[in-house]
Amino acid sequence: MSNTRSAPLVSEFAGDPEMQELVEFFVSALPERIDAIRGALGEQRFRDLQRLAHQMKGAAGGYGFPAIGTAAGALEGTLKQNEQPPLDQVRGEVDALIALCNRAAGV
Amino acid sequence: MAEAVDNPTHAEEAPPSALVVDDSPDVHRLLSARLRNEHLSIISATNGEEGLRLALERSPSIVLLDIEMPGMDGFEVLRRLKDNAATSDVPVIILSGHSTMQDKVTAFDLGAVDYVVKPFEPTELRVRVRSALRLARLVKMLAQRAQIDGLTGLWNRTYFDARCKECVSANDRHGRSLSIALIDADHFKSVNDTFGHPAGDVVLQGIAEALRKQCRATDIACRYGGEEFAVLMPETRPTDALILCERIREQIERVVWSKHPERAVTVSIGLAGAAAKCPLAADRWVEAADKALYKAKSDGRNRTIAVDLVKLAPRIAMAG
Repeated sequence: MSNTRSAPLVSEFAGDPEMQELVEFFVSALPERIDAIRGALGEQRFRDLQRLAHQMKGAAGGYGFPAIGTAAGALEGTLKQNEQPPLDQVRGEVDALIALCNRAAGV
Repeated sequence: MAEAVDNPTHAEEAPPSALVVDDSPDVHRLLSARLRNEHLSIISATNGEEGLRLALERSPSIVLLDIEMPGMDGFEVLRRLKDNAATSDVPVIILSGHSTMQDKVTAFDLGAVDYVVKPFEPTELRVRVRSALRLARLVKMLAQRAQIDGLTGLWNRTYFDARCKECVSANDRHGRSLSIALIDADHFKSVNDTFGHPAGDVVLQGIAEALRKQCRATDIACRYGGEEFAVLMPETRPTDALILCERIREQIERVVWSKHPERAVTVSIGLAGAAAKCPLAADRWVEAADKALYKAKSDGRNRTIAVDLVKLAPRIAMAG
């Protein structure tokens, strides 16, 4: 497919009735998380950014969005390994994470 | 005093609950949804300290514990849960975002029963929780079985010794009253010799039945060995314990045995008790009850002899 970059990302649990409400909730709260991540990056609060990435990594997979979880995990890893994180790499990983989040769709 | 399970056959099960210790609200939401149909009530803690407090207060059936948390981490929580006798038997499943070998080894070394990597696969999580609960139930049952006498269903000598020490130390530290009775079937050997060992076994079971009937919920009735039984009566003064012992003695005397209706069985009882703090070790208490039992035998059997250890203690201590 040529348009995978913009195709909606559907939760693995989309068909699971016990999860429907939770997935909707997660997707609807994503803009807030994105704002928080943008804010932390903008002010170079790397500790906060690492915590947000860690939470996102744990949560996204649980709601059926493993790709978002993996992207968040990469960001967390970069921040964890570096006392002074390479800003360009961090920016790139944040952008990739946000791009995936923007594609996440409700059920 | 800890909640006494007086009668092994009536041990009760509390409704099962799972304590979730994780700093992420998402994990709490997800677990609640995933465990909704497991008949588990969910108790939530968002940090290690809160988790430890709730583990003590609510006695959960299982703990689902995150490793990476701000403040006290999951390994430390696990260590403290296992260090405390009140929580050391609760099964703990580690929920971690990491799956490194070292983390897993540490978790199992510290006493975790299982290790699940987040994001968890819901069905797998459910069966792992079920399996941990099943295992915990079996371990508990096994531990209890090892303390129950097979023939009579009463607590056995091992259990008696442990609880006796606890009760004696409660008397020694807090001055709680306590009475201990040793009960021995009179001429038991002749019942065995005359009517056979199966008849003897029925007598032992009958005595156990009388103990179960007469003892109160807080009393601890045990088979001490052979044809000898023991009853621990916490929070009971010797004067009250004497009334209970006499009831036990009378009830046994009245039993009509189907294998030998013409032959009644009697018991002799030695009772040692104290209504106040009494500075004697547990084996000294049992020794005093045993001496009273010997006196009951030599005085003609089928009777209770009681000694008040508060009055007697100085003499016993002097005798060394």
